[in-house]
Amino acid sequence: MSIRKFSSVIGLGFLLISLRLYQLQIIQGNKFYQLSKANSIRIIALKGARGKILDRKGEVIVDNQFSYELMAYPQAIENVDDFLKKLASVLGISFSSLKKTYQAQAIQSSLPITLVKDLDKEKAIILEELKSEFPQIVIQSVPKRFYPYGRLASHIIGYIGLIDRWRLDKWKDYGYSIQDTVGYGGIEERYDYYLKPDNGGIQLEIDSYGRLRRILGFKKPINGKDITLTIDLRVQKIVEEVLKDYSGAVVIIQPHTGEIIALASSPNFSPFEISNPSVLKDLLSDPTSPLVNRAISGLYSPGSVFKVVVADSALENKRIDEKTTFFCDGSLKIGNRQFGCWEKHGNQNLFWAIVHSCDIFFYKVGLSLGADKINEYALKFGLGKLTHIDLPEEKAGFVPHPLLRKLEKRQAWFDGDTANFAIGQGELLTTPLQIVRMISVFANGGKLVRPYIVKAIAGKDISLKQRKILSLGIPEKFLKIINRAMEAVVKDPEGTAHLLYIPDLSIAGKTGTAQVSKKQPHAWFAGFFPVENPSYSICVILEHAGSSTNACLVTKKIIERMKEEGIL
Amino acid sequence: MKNYNPIIFSLTLFISFLGVITIYSTRYPSTSINEIPLYLRQIIWIILGLVFLLFIYRWNAVRLWDIAYIIYVVTLVLLILVDILGHIRLGAQRWLKILWFNFQPSELAKLASIIILSRYFSHYSLRFSGRSKLNFKRGIIIPFLWVAPMIFLILQQPDLGTALMIFFIYLSIVYFAGVKRKYIVILLIILVFLSPLLWHFLKDYQKERLLVFLNPDKDPLGAGYTVTQSKIAIGSGRFLGKGWLSGTQGQLRFLPEAHTDFIFSSFSEEWGFLGSLLLLILYYLLIFYSLKIALATNEYFERLLAWGIVSMFFIQIFINLSMTLGMAPVVGLPLIFFSYGGSSIVVSFLSLGILMNINKKR
Repeated sequence: MSIRKFSSVIGLGFLLISLRLYQLQIIQGNKFYQLSKANSIRIIALKGARGKILDRKGEVIVDNQFSYELMAYPQAIENVDDFLKKLASVLGISFSSLKKTYQAQAIQSSLPITLVKDLDKEKAIILEELKSEFPQIVIQSVPKRFYPYGRLASHIIGYIGLIDRWRLDKWKDYGYSIQDTVGYGGIEERYDYYLKPDNGGIQLEIDSYGRLRRILGFKKPINGKDITLTIDLRVQKIVEEVLKDYSGAVVIIQPHTGEIIALASSPNFSPFEISNPSVLKDLLSDPTSPLVNRAISGLYSPGSVFKVVVADSALENKRIDEKTTFFCDGSLKIGNRQFGCWEKHGNQNLFWAIVHSCDIFFYKVGLSLGADKINEYALKFGLGKLTHIDLPEEKAGFVPHPLLRKLEKRQAWFDGDTANFAIGQGELLTTPLQIVRMISVFANGGKLVRPYIVKAIAGKDISLKQRKILSLGIPEKFLKIINRAMEAVVKDPEGTAHLLYIPDLSIAGKTGTAQVSKKQPHAWFAGFFPVENPSYSICVILEHAGSSTNACLVTKKIIERMKEEGIL
Repeated sequence: MKNYNPIIFSLTLFISFLGVITIYSTRYPSTSINEIPLYLRQIIWIILGLVFLLFIYRWNAVRLWDIAYIIYVVTLVLLILVDILGHIRLGAQRWLKILWFNFQPSELAKLASIIILSRYFSHYSLRFSGRSKLNFKRGIIIPFLWVAPMIFLILQQPDLGTALMIFFIYLSIVYFAGVKRKYIVILLIILVFLSPLLWHFLKDYQKERLLVFLNPDKDPLGAGYTVTQSKIAIGSGRFLGKGWLSGTQGQLRFLPEAHTDFIFSSFSEEWGFLGSLLLLILYYLLIFYSLKIALATNEYFERLLAWGIVSMFFIQIFINLSMTLGMAPVVGLPLIFFSYGGSSIVVSFLSLGILMNINKKR
């Protein structure tokens, strides 16, 4: 192999490049020089519409409407101040704010600058008539998010805004650019890649008078893909109307599949108004944190709702059976601390302990199980870890463990901690979504489902991809024992949720109150219905609502309204 | 063998210097006050690259034979890491944040594939007339299986340009190792037939870029726009250029990627046909003398290594220039020693260090 052979191949490559350079710079050089001097390439962006968001029946939750935008070509403007002053007087807005918008976007001279978004129709017409005076501007109709139900499902949807630096850096290679609108929170964020339209545009060459010489290229804008949710809009509406007066969250899922039927967090926000920066600022500093989706990122102690997990653990580990009884005289001394029950229940077996939500019974069961086992079962039922729902900002929560405490905090674990753990108080922290999935295990015969909210993308059903169902291997007889007790919680006049009894509908569930230091406790209800063939699991939490009665009332209102509207 | 080290070293330094002044010009007048200017950063990268160069120069390149597998595995792990981190948030990612800088493992992958293929083929060295053993399986398939995981992972990032580069490096080493031309032709024919299948592996925007090359009108705002502006920039430079700091296309930000992939357009606008020709000659000489090093080495492993590096230099320069001149699709490859970018600079200097080390042991 000779050097001559290879170097001539390489030389040929460089010769080719040189010839092309000669063609561009020498032969066509003057043409390109004129083009570069006149900056005569203009671009008109044609924006596509973002994908719509639909409920499971195809009802539109988030839609698009057209609005007008006023744009200007910077390279056509000779004196920016004069131009903006003239424009400001026509539009009746302040010159300084117009200048600010202009300067913020004056990055690439060939790209048009958006001066006014949401231009009134009248003003658009006036400007269109004055076109000869303003050759530098163009008015475009641009699709814009429209929310037909206002604040409804705001936490599920999220909102949209201009792309931030962080996202831009990350997504640049996926075709995101500096003036793009992207989703923040909810479906808008998580499924932005699909919802995002593919913007098109026209590239023009103009002469020195600004007249069109020829069109260099055209690209058709393509609308984003529609997203179909598992949400039932009718149920979502009911839930939000009932929840409106409280601070808290409600989640309803299909217990066999994990489809989210309704998911609400209160207080909520308006995805429309949030595009106004001052509204966003207020929301961010609001002490009630309306932007937080409490259903998936709110962390609460589950309280007595957790007892059903402890009950299953005790049955599976043969610490108790159906007939085991413990005596409740209203208080129990553990270590040197006195632990109370909220009533003197007398002799209690598992059935009655769940119906009455007797603390003493569960203190004793918990102590015989030990904290390790309770920890194991809490994790088994999916508490304290992510459910991997397809929404952003999900929180994991926390399940305590004696060893973990020793390692991390260098503190000892006492029997009193075990007792507290067994009734769902103390360090145990869960999200309402975890609780509804936990209660679904009892509704669906022992399976832990992965909750999900998107059913189809662009009409293509992705349910099978979304479903992840894990069998926990709980013997059916144990589930039956606990379910019978949970049914009696509602049906039996002594049950803690008897308030929620509805004659011709069988509901099973468990109440809970989560102690909060110095404030009223949180109220819980988690359950499923109809018991014979469960099609809904529900979890309600009301922050600082006192006893669980309020949670039962909210649940009752929701179920009654569902019946009225013929959903059940 | 003659000592070519002083000449290739000074050529590279001169090219890098031209790169720095071009980066300075594309960012002129400087707008950001808080950050370190890009040209200064580039100088820091060059210095870091020189440190690596010195290190490998004083070492022994044959030792790369011993650690070839380690380099290979480390590169794969880094590529997988990039892939995983990219998946966590939907976003594309080509770099890993190491300490305070972003490192692109795909740059390292080019060098790693040269080393692993050189090691592989050094088994079939000329001296033991092992070339006759290079049948289709040993000469084409097995070496392809070595680079395939890297190509696949880099395509996922998605970085079409670098993936293509590794494939070309593979082709050139297979050719140089003496695999029968017939087999290479068969491979290319197979690939032509498989191309509709490979098409599915590409991301939408990559498909689009290839289609835009065939029909530039298709995407006037994206890749088509870049090429139009690049051609205007180069063409408007005419014979003598607009002069340093006077290029309007790059400075007024008409030209996207003016300091990275499309830096040649910025250079060409300011220095014209004459300056561009000078740069081409510098690159030609660099490759010519590097090639001499490769062909003058007797040690087979080093010979392959040097050849791989030379072809990497040449192919990348050729693709980058063709792309800025609108003669090839926009695939996103930096111009070596010239474009802004830490990983590219460091890996290029590292490669040069290997070449110089090989030349040292005459």
